[in-house]
Amino acid sequence: MSSPSPAIQIESLSYAYGRAEAVRGLTLCVQAGRCYGLFGRNGAGKTTTMKCLLNLLRPQGGQVRMFGLDPARHEVDVKRRLAYVPDQVAFYPWMSVRETLDYLASFRAHWNRKTEHELLGRFRLDPAQRTGGLSKGQRTQVALIAAVCPETDLLVLDEPTSGLDPIVRREFIETVIGAYQEGNAGNRTILVSTHLITEFEGLIDEFTIIDHGLPVLTLASDQARESYRKIRARFAQSPPKLDLQGALRVRRDGRELELIANGAGAELMERLRQQNPEALTTESLTLEEIFVATLKS
Amino acid sequence: MVGLPGDHVLSNLPLLAGLPDTRCTVLVSYDRKTGMRLQINFKSGMPIYLQVVDQIKAAAASGALRPGEVLPSIRPLAEELRVNRNTVAKAYSELESLGVIETLPGRGCFLKENHTALRKEVRRKLLTVEVDQAIVQAHHLQVPRDEFLALIHERMNALDHKRRSNENQTEDDQS
Repeated sequence: MSSPSPAIQIESLSYAYGRAEAVRGLTLCVQAGRCYGLFGRNGAGKTTTMKCLLNLLRPQGGQVRMFGLDPARHEVDVKRRLAYVPDQVAFYPWMSVRETLDYLASFRAHWNRKTEHELLGRFRLDPAQRTGGLSKGQRTQVALIAAVCPETDLLVLDEPTSGLDPIVRREFIETVIGAYQEGNAGNRTILVSTHLITEFEGLIDEFTIIDHGLPVLTLASDQARESYRKIRARFAQSPPKLDLQGALRVRRDGRELELIANGAGAELMERLRQQNPEALTTESLTLEEIFVATLKS
Repeated sequence: MVGLPGDHVLSNLPLLAGLPDTRCTVLVSYDRKTGMRLQINFKSGMPIYLQVVDQIKAAAASGALRPGEVLPSIRPLAEELRVNRNTVAKAYSELESLGVIETLPGRGCFLKENHTALRKEVRRKLLTVEVDQAIVQAHHLQVPRDEFLALIHERMNALDHKRRSNENQTEDDQS
């Protein structure tokens, strides 16, 4: 089943709504089996990018390939291998949860009933309830169940946790991703867009930060946390004049100095150490802090 | 101290005095069966899978995890730590290639009896790298030789102590 081509390949993608450019030359590649994060502020171009992958929008420039295929020319072949949860979930309100899942399952070659049963239980959803009476969070849960059960090669999630309360959000991370990866983890690929990065910290293998439709930073998470460091130094008197080249940001606060560095952390630590600070600490930035540091600088 | 067995505990690390971090950057799991506690710190800069590897090695060294004991299975551990399942799988396969654990198909991963497959010279060489790093660190922190050696003794005693108390605990459990 699995092919050597990447699950997703985007090259110089651009798309504009009239004169408003939403995506302006985005390039990224998601290898099979990875959990890939697309991070950006509201309006950065995340949803537009995803819609181009799903052939809901036609790229105006560049190209996208899903499993090596053009989603416009091989729409069915591509769609049978993926599941998508949009940012706004809508069902036929007169159908019950049970009927909705059966209806969605009827489009799929495969449906894991056991996973469905397990997730319905963990989300405490009543199968007999009409979807019209569900809360926003419950509708998202139904959509997530429907996305996980077909056990496709790729799961595309657009802001899956926005609008959910914190308890449900945590449950989402624990159960949905776990259930999805359960069968054939090495080949199950996830593309998730979000600006709530902290919740996905441990799940994301690799990410791209986009801003105003452009990719700003693409890195593996472990590498990012190794490379981006925050350094704090406290001196007996006000901090000496120092060559702090290589720091992304420097903040002085009385006797304290706070630096954010990318890659140059060890060197900066050494330079600060030579000034005999009272205290000198360093720590990695979390993905969210990297996101903020990248978009602010 | 942190939470009840099986609880999913989120804690904050105080970073520099007076600057507590309010975000959840440390995730902890506690295995009810073995009593092993794992803790992921996103701010340590160390790859997550290596944090799992190191802590399981530490648990084995301190006796918190004993030969023949079963490790938590991958999915529940991944869910509890809220990390990618592949990350835990990678840690386990690393531990397996190091000869620390073994996988019995259908039964899970177990801590191996005598868990080093490496020759003595190789083991010494690996340890030398770590010791050298600690010595460099000691130099920068201006910890003199005697104090450094005393610290090594102290830490080895602490580990022995921990191992003994872990052993006593099992005897208590059995009686």
